[in-house]
Amino acid sequence: MSDDVCISINNLSKKYKNSKEESLKGVSFSVTRGEKFGVLGPNGAGKTTLISVLCGILPATKGNFSYYKNGKPLSNHEIKSGIGYVPQDFAFYDELTPMQNLHYFGAIHNLNKKTIEERAEEIFTILGISKVSDKKTKIFSGGLKRRINLAIGIIHKPSVLFLDEPTVGADVQSKHAMIEYLKKLNNEGTTIIYTSHHMAEAEEFCDRIAFINNGSIIECDNLNNLMKKHDITDLQSLFISLTGEGYFD
Amino acid sequence: MVGLLFMFAMPLLLVVIITIVQDSAFRQINENQMSLLIINHDSSEQSAQLITLLEKSRMFDIEQKNETPADEVKNTLIRKGKLTALYIPENFSEQLNKKAALVARVMLADMGLFENNAVEKEPEMPELQFYHDPVLQDAYSYTIVSIIRSHLDVVENSLMIDVIYQLVGIEKKPDTFRDAMMANTVSINQQPASKVNIKPNTTQHNIPAWTIFAMFFIVVSLGSNIVKERMNGSFIRLKTMPVNFSLIFGSKMIVYVSVAVLQVVAVFSVGVFLFPVMNLPQLILPGNFFVLFIVVLIIALAAVSYALMIGALSKTQEQANGIGAVSIIIFAALGGILVPVFVMPDIMKIISNFSPLYWCLESFYFLFLKGGNWTQIIPVLIPIIIFILLCQMITYIQLKVEKII
Repeated sequence: MSDDVCISINNLSKKYKNSKEESLKGVSFSVTRGEKFGVLGPNGAGKTTLISVLCGILPATKGNFSYYKNGKPLSNHEIKSGIGYVPQDFAFYDELTPMQNLHYFGAIHNLNKKTIEERAEEIFTILGISKVSDKKTKIFSGGLKRRINLAIGIIHKPSVLFLDEPTVGADVQSKHAMIEYLKKLNNEGTTIIYTSHHMAEAEEFCDRIAFINNGSIIECDNLNNLMKKHDITDLQSLFISLTGEGYFD
Repeated sequence: MVGLLFMFAMPLLLVVIITIVQDSAFRQINENQMSLLIINHDSSEQSAQLITLLEKSRMFDIEQKNETPADEVKNTLIRKGKLTALYIPENFSEQLNKKAALVARVMLADMGLFENNAVEKEPEMPELQFYHDPVLQDAYSYTIVSIIRSHLDVVENSLMIDVIYQLVGIEKKPDTFRDAMMANTVSINQQPASKVNIKPNTTQHNIPAWTIFAMFFIVVSLGSNIVKERMNGSFIRLKTMPVNFSLIFGSKMIVYVSVAVLQVVAVFSVGVFLFPVMNLPQLILPGNFFVLFIVVLIIALAAVSYALMIGALSKTQEQANGIGAVSIIIFAALGGILVPVFVMPDIMKIISNFSPLYWCLESFYFLFLKGGNWTQIIPVLIPIIIFILLCQMITYIQLKVEKII
């Protein structure tokens, strides 16, 4: 395996127990180290299922995937230590303060108190959380909660970061802060796999995009190549062109 | 913080309030004087004798209102704010005398000391009327009626002896005999069937019972937390991290079991140190602290396991809170926390075996009231351990189904 490959996905399928159809149908692609990789598709296309399988939350029904470092496959423990996951939901404890949440999740990543506090200070400053770091998160706005959700996912400086619609419901300032910080992380070497319904945001952020529809990857390339191929000048038009105008959910 | 305060303040308040209330009720009957309004329309010796006996018993704060008409007794009781009233009708002594004479003549005739050829009609028994405020519960009314009944027996017996004396030709029975009759001093010593010298009282009953109730109420806090973590994705997030989920779950259990044990320590401390200051009976702890600790630990584990199961099965926090709280109250009612199991109908006694609180309470009662040892306690702990395993198994299966573990 090439030293640049970070994740290799081969013929991956997922069928839920009570579902008639497969949510993922033989998905294959690879993600290069240091890439900002977008997974775009309509609601119910299989984006969250794909991320859940790659993060080890759900087992795959068929196929396989591997994580690599310098061409060598990683063990399950190495994968879990190296990935960061930012789900759509606010997956933290709203009775705790942002700092307490980072201490809790940081400790699970075996970070010591000093490292957590140093990392928290940096993240809180950039994401504008410092002033409220000692307040209970349940009183926060949606945008602030989104930033805390992101902060928890990156406390351990993951080498691969999964973001499942990380900016949904956030205000313009929150989105801006998050995207800028994600770019910074990416520049520092973090591979990012990202899903979103914000086409402009994805257009600006992603190096390469996979379009997923009805459980299958229908296109996977960098944006320029895709636009040339389909003779379309913006991502939203390309999205409609590939997935159609009908509703999917 | 509020949750923790709730978990500690609630059991303390429960045991203090319920023990005070039950202790005062006990004292009301046994130590304090119950207010008793007497309307005596009978002017003879027997009614006066009954009133004297009631006065001498020192159990009643008696007020006589003999001028009150029979149909006004209820109104007078309410107007004067009395809890109970005793109405002695005009013909009370007359009927009592007739009855005593009949019994005495039959008895002497049977003994061959009196010739009684006449076929006598059974006289009507006199009837006293006992009134009580509707707020007075049946149990108290029955107790007061029993006390009056026992004094009435003395009067009846005394009268019967008088008649026997008269029939055998002794006009006046000796005072010594009368005094002996009136004294009614046969005492009954209460001896608890316990291996240790622990006197059952409101504290020994209530503290173990309500402590268990409070421990199981941890379901409200833990159950809804589990639902929240399942629903908001915290558990899912943890699944992506380099940690065994059973370690996370085990840590949660250790924390909550510790909280439950601390609840017990707090409540027992109140019983041991605060109750005597509050003029309530002091809690006497069992001699074997190790057995007590193990029993407390098992009960805490049962409470936490139940909370985890409710948290795993509920779809919303509201559902967990509602089902959790109501089920604990039902378990408490079935388990003898609210009403002792021995007074329940047979079918309810069988059903009570399915309440974990019943077995928890039994294990505590073995320790706090009966001075039980390992041999006696282990059979009681087995159903609790089965309950723990069942809850844990259901929780595991549910979390497995939800792909959380």
